[in-house]
Amino acid sequence: MMRRVLTIARAVFLDSIRRRILLVVLVFAGIMVAFIPALPDYGLGVQAAVYGEIALAVTFATAAVVVVGLAVTRIPSEIERRTVYSVLARPVPRWEYLCGTWLGTFATAGMLIAAFTVVDQIVALVTYGEPMWLLWLGAVGIWLEMGVIAAFAHSVSTIVSPITAVVASIAFLFIGHSRSTLLGEEGALALRAFYPSLDAFNIVAPVTHGAGVPPIYLLSMVVVFIGFVGLLLALGALLMGSRDL
Amino acid sequence: MAEPETAAIQVQGARKVYKAIGKPPKVAVSDVSLTVEPGTIHGLLGPNGAGKTTTLKMLIGLVRPTQGRFTILGQDSRQPRGRTALGFLPEQPYFPTHLTALQALKFYGALAGVRREGLDGEALSLLEKVGLADAGRVELTKFSRGMLQRLGIAQALLGSPHVVILDEPASGLDPVGQRDIRNLMLQLRADGTTVLLSSHQLSEVEAVCDRVTILDRGTVASEGHIDDLLNIAGQTSVKVRGLERLPERVASLAEEVAFSGSVWVFSIPDDAVRTVVDAIDDAGGVVMAVQPKRESLEDYFTRLLEHHAAGEVA
Repeated sequence: MMRRVLTIARAVFLDSIRRRILLVVLVFAGIMVAFIPALPDYGLGVQAAVYGEIALAVTFATAAVVVVGLAVTRIPSEIERRTVYSVLARPVPRWEYLCGTWLGTFATAGMLIAAFTVVDQIVALVTYGEPMWLLWLGAVGIWLEMGVIAAFAHSVSTIVSPITAVVASIAFLFIGHSRSTLLGEEGALALRAFYPSLDAFNIVAPVTHGAGVPPIYLLSMVVVFIGFVGLLLALGALLMGSRDL
Repeated sequence: MAEPETAAIQVQGARKVYKAIGKPPKVAVSDVSLTVEPGTIHGLLGPNGAGKTTTLKMLIGLVRPTQGRFTILGQDSRQPRGRTALGFLPEQPYFPTHLTALQALKFYGALAGVRREGLDGEALSLLEKVGLADAGRVELTKFSRGMLQRLGIAQALLGSPHVVILDEPASGLDPVGQRDIRNLMLQLRADGTTVLLSSHQLSEVEAVCDRVTILDRGTVASEGHIDDLLNIAGQTSVKVRGLERLPERVASLAEEVAFSGSVWVFSIPDDAVRTVVDAIDDAGGVVMAVQPKRESLEDYFTRLLEHHAAGEVA
């Protein structure tokens, strides 16, 4: 089972990193990061912290665009081009195919975010003379969140068109970060426990303005990640299993 | 390994109705049953929209049947475990284009459960078998349509499956390629592999298939051994050369007489064979062939579909 999942993941990863669009996005975002210190409102005595915040925000936005773009098109295009037939005619259950595809996208996101973080660090080192190692913690949070977004986008894309899946993914991202806005900080307390919040992955503030997060928080973040991804992929497997190819 | 009496492929009462909100249900397959014996080549024929591809997709679990039972070597082929002995070539196969031919085969080989240590060797051997020995390290973006088709056949044969389903295997191939594929299918049969061949190329089906099932409008229009379907009972075909005109005794018995390039071809009743051969011999002619009169599959196919349509209208 694991061999099949890893085989599919590897193929998805190798295919994704060869796409030219990935390189273009990476270069473009790298240039943006390099120019953060030149922003007009920049420099109120907390430059390094603000730099880290903006750098992580650029990383998040770019990773979200790339992950959603890759995830919503992968399965529909494989069905349309019929490459999926040769895979699923083998003794490969559809859930393994979905998990392998997700894992490949997740690995691609990891590589992209890692590359970004290296660029962020180089710019930080050149500009402020410090490598800002804590940025890696923020990057891990972004990576895990991208894993959840990818699981949602892949699952939805098994039954709807890529455009609908993009809209659904953006809505998921928005709702996932709107618990306080939609439920209020203190109102609707009973609902808060059930709200599918992605805020758990947002550790930008403690990373850029504080001393990071303790290991127990990182561990709890991984638990939330596993819960979200497991649930979404199970739903995706159900949806994909119920459709004709 | 399957028991000898187990059918290689069995489809019983297959039915598929597509339903969509706001649209009337569409019956793609109404009632199809077919049995493919082990070690044979079985042809699946039918005009466009007859239900061939839907039947195949139901068989390999790509489409959920509304009704029916599907087995390969006695196992439910809709379950992944039931497809361990299956190789499948889809119509017009596509592959991840960033891979080379060798990488693509290794990818599908891993999915088929081919052991790691034997994968390279098997992939190279299959590339050679389908005539792509020199193209193993070429990226698939540089492959022609025919080369992709050959690669598709190679991936279907990974893991030495006991049952192979080929959907239009000769599509996109030149005449030499088509001949190679025919020979490959015959070789597979000789090795004991069962082949289910879905094809529009009637000459190909006629040349290699032991039995055929003809579908029309989602049902089985005809099924049987190719000789039983095509041989015309009571008639023998005779081919003769070396005569300027047919002897009187032969001419009175011959039907559908054709003369071309000094060769006569005609048909006679079975019980007149001895008389005709003697008469030709006496006249100094040479009998080149005497064989049961056979309809071409193309003629049979056309006639069958006309009758089937007329029967349904009636």
